[in-house]
Order: sequence, then structure tokens, then C-alpha cells
Amino acid sequence: MFNSNFDTLKTALDVQLKRQELHAQNIANAETPGYKRKYIAFEEYLQESQMKLKLSTTHEKHLPPATRVVTAKQVTQKSTSITNDKNNVDIDMEITEMVKDALRYQTLARLMSANIDRYNTVIRNVR
Amino acid sequence: MQSEFNILGISATGLSAQRLRIEIISTNIANSETTRTERGEPYRRKVPVFQELVRNIGGRPENGGVIVKRIYEDPSEFRIVYDPTHPDADENGYVRLPNVNIVREMVDMINAQRAYEANAMAINTTKAMITAALQIGR
Repeated sequence: MFNSNFDTLKTALDVQLKRQELHAQNIANAETPGYKRKYIAFEEYLQESQMKLKLSTTHEKHLPPATRVVTAKQVTQKSTSITNDKNNVDIDMEITEMVKDALRYQTLARLMSANIDRYNTVIRNVR
Repeated sequence: MQSEFNILGISATGLSAQRLRIEIISTNIANSETTRTERGEPYRRKVPVFQELVRNIGGRPENGGVIVKRIYEDPSEFRIVYDPTHPDADENGYVRLPNVNIVREMVDMINAQRAYEANAMAINTTKAMITAALQIGR
């Protein structure tokens, strides 16, 4: 009955939360020697999966493609470091990304509310 | 799956690690002229050693923040100053002073303060996110 918007939004919210966890981990370890920053390559995965899995329905009895579950994968960035303790956390960049992700999370939460509101409107007005 | 409160826990480990670091820096600064310790030598500069904490929950690694692995004593040379009037001076009039460099400690302290603030900011951001989640469906 409910459309897949809920699933998509839920996945997106979960991923943002996981991202926030990694920002927290990176910031907590900003002064840990040898630590390498962790991040989630979500957009990359999403884009990839959308490009790969475009199924066309050529017959009226073809089922539409099932909702894809995009899993967030934690990646460690092993590249260069800006300090001499082999730690590659750039705290300014990390904070900026964190704020951006939080705003994205709030936007997604609002979208989720708007989605629920639409159902509420339908339920209240039809009798 | 992951919980919001785990994120707050991660930032909390960051806060306490940086606070401990500031404490150690304060001790170093306070003892920058201490020529006598219980071991009979001048004070040695102390440094905390941080390590990433990854908990193993049900066979799955889970980010746990940071821990202070140990407190390391800097083995570098003591400062030697000529001061024959000092009670701890040797027969040639030289005094061994702690291997604490105030400028270095100050720089470390500012670093620790900034890192502490960054962790506090992470807590605030997580809080804003949880609040947004609680508003869903309101």
C-alpha cells in the first residue's frame, strides 16, 4: 500500500546516521597517530546501482523491479596525510561535511513527514 | 543497526581523551621546574598515547571512538642549566631541569582545546539530528 518513498527515505536516513557515526569517529581520532579517516561512499553506490539495474518492462505482465536496498559500505581512506603522524583526518573538512550531512538528515526527515502528511490528508478527508 | 547513542558515545570518548590530555599538559607545565621527584631525578614530561577503539560486537566491528592507551614518559635529555646556588646543583654547579618545553606544551594545549571543541560540536550536531528524527510525523 505504501509507496517505496518510505523505504528510500529510511535507507537515506540510516546512511546519514552512519555517516555521522564515522564523522564522530574521525573527529575523536583526529589526534591519533596512524589513524586513517573512514567515510561512506553512498552517492557513488547509488549512482552505480541505478545505472546498472534499470530493468525495462516490455510486457504488461512484467513485474516492476523490486525496491533496491542500497547498503552503505564503510571505506577507509588510506591516502596521504597532512601531518607527520600518518593521520589523514582534516578536521575542518570533517566538520564541514558533518554539518552538511546533518542538514541533509534534517531535510530527509522533513520529506518523510511530508510523505506521512499526504497519507493523513487522504485518510481524514475520504469517508 | 547502529544507534544514535553510539555516536554520542564516540564523541564522549573524544572529549574525555582530550580532557585527559589537557590534564597531562597542565601537569607538565606545573612541573616545568621540578628538580626532585620520588625517583630522585627531575620531572619527566608525560605524553598520552591515543589509539582508535573498535569494539567487537557479535563478531562485527563497531566504531567506539578513541582511548588513551597509556601515558608515555618522554625519555629525551633533561635541560642542563648552570646555577651553583641551586640546592640540587652537582659539584660543577649544573642543575638538571625537567625536559618540559613550555612553548611546545602551549601549542599542544591549544591543539587539545580545538580537538575538544570539535568533539563537542559533533555532539551538538548529533543532537540536532536526533531532534529532527523525533519530529517525523509530528
